Amino acid sequence: MVKPQKFESALKRLEEIVATMESGDLELDKSLALFEEGVKLVRFCSGKLDEAKKKVEILVDKKGTMVAEPFAVDTHSSQDDAE
Amino acid sequence: MKNDGRKIYTVSELNREIRVVMEDTWPDIWLEGEVSNFRAYPSGHWYFSLKDQDAQISAVMFAGVNRLLKFAIEDGGKIIVRGRVSAYAKRGEYQFIALVAEPSGKGALQLAFEQLKAKLDKEGLFDQSRKKPIPMLPQRIGVITSPAGAAIRDILSVISRRFANVSVLLYPVRVQGDEAKYDITAAINYFNKHCPEIDVLLVGRGGGSYEDLWAFNEEIVARAIADSRIPIISCVGHEVDFTIADFVADLRAATPSAAAELVVRNKTELTERVDNLKHSLVRTIRHQLEVYEHVVAHATRSRFLQDPLAVFESRMQDIDTLMHSLSSRAANILESSRHAVSVASEKLHVLSPLSTLQRGYAICWKLPERTIVTDEKCVQRGDEIDVKVARGSFKTRVM
Repeated sequence: MVKPQKFESALKRLEEIVATMESGDLELDKSLALFEEGVKLVRFCSGKLDEAKKKVEILVDKKGTMVAEPFAVDTHSSQDDAE
Repeated sequence: MKNDGRKIYTVSELNREIRVVMEDTWPDIWLEGEVSNFRAYPSGHWYFSLKDQDAQISAVMFAGVNRLLKFAIEDGGKIIVRGRVSAYAKRGEYQFIALVAEPSGKGALQLAFEQLKAKLDKEGLFDQSRKKPIPMLPQRIGVITSPAGAAIRDILSVISRRFANVSVLLYPVRVQGDEAKYDITAAINYFNKHCPEIDVLLVGRGGGSYEDLWAFNEEIVARAIADSRIPIISCVGHEVDFTIADFVADLRAATPSAAAELVVRNKTELTERVDNLKHSLVRTIRHQLEVYEHVVAHATRSRFLQDPLAVFESRMQDIDTLMHSLSSRAANILESSRHAVSVASEKLHVLSPLSTLQRGYAICWKLPERTIVTDEKCVQRGDEIDVKVARGSFKTRVM
């Protein structure tokens, strides 16, 4: 649960940094420090965007324990939800 | 039977017969009335009266059947019941035994829906402040729906179209029928308990009738959604259907496809956003560096930095000039001082007694006091006088 929150807060911080730098009025060493932090955040966010692996699974009850197994939608049966 | 031939009943006999007659006459009827005096006993049996404007009758609905009711019977509620008339032989009271009940004027389901909605709303389960935000970049999505229905098919097709890299875990459930509510609740609890990597849950099903969707109006499902730590998006049926689950969920989607769209941000959208931020970052720092370069270049062009000695040299020259003017002024001052001194000494010389003496004058002192004589009256015959002339001095007596 930590990961998605980190992406969002990283993106938010990155936007904050850009806004601060664009507003001007910063001393050079402060700008450089923010730039460095910004670059790290860009790398982090890009990494997260490329990261997640595609996997579709279904939980199957195996003698009381739920086990995840690969799942593929049966495209030929167009049943509606009827049980 | 007594000897005189009359049939004389005992109370028990009469009551028993009354009961039989009643049960034979009204074995299965529909009765409509307004509920009053409703009491639910610990045994689970319900006792109440049904009345209209002019009359009333006692009624009972036993635990075995009242448990199946979807709506609650309340005082003032108008209902239609199906059952039989019977008598409680022991007390000689007759009553209506209800087997089935429905609200009159409204569907039972509709009433149940309204009652539950009011109850949960009052508890605050629908409050906006309770709703959790849906994560922007979910790592793993949990789905609770039928494995064979349109919902899962639509969800997966949207996800693969918009954000190919996300992971999905499906917990298959029945989505209609009486047992569906238990399946759905178990699924929500399972994800919360065993799947810390799941960021968001999609709970729903495809379109259907009001009865088909009923599981999503059940109280246990609503409470499971409310208690879920994982944010839940409900997606039940079509656009116009609103179930209790929709009110309690953190977000409601009109359809399962819409839910998938909500949950899975367009990857290119997010990638683009990060890219734009990266370019802005680089552009601003470059701009700022250019400005500083300009400032530094300007500074190095200044006279001082290019030829620091030149400044000193000109300063030295200034000092020389000052010194020169200082010394000439000093010389002038000296000159005029000398002049003043010589003028003064000239004057002094003229005024000096010595030059007077040289002109033939003498100074006389009366002895022994040695006072200077300026007046003849100050001396008398015999006084000794010391006389000083230009060269030397001598003593003399006054005659």
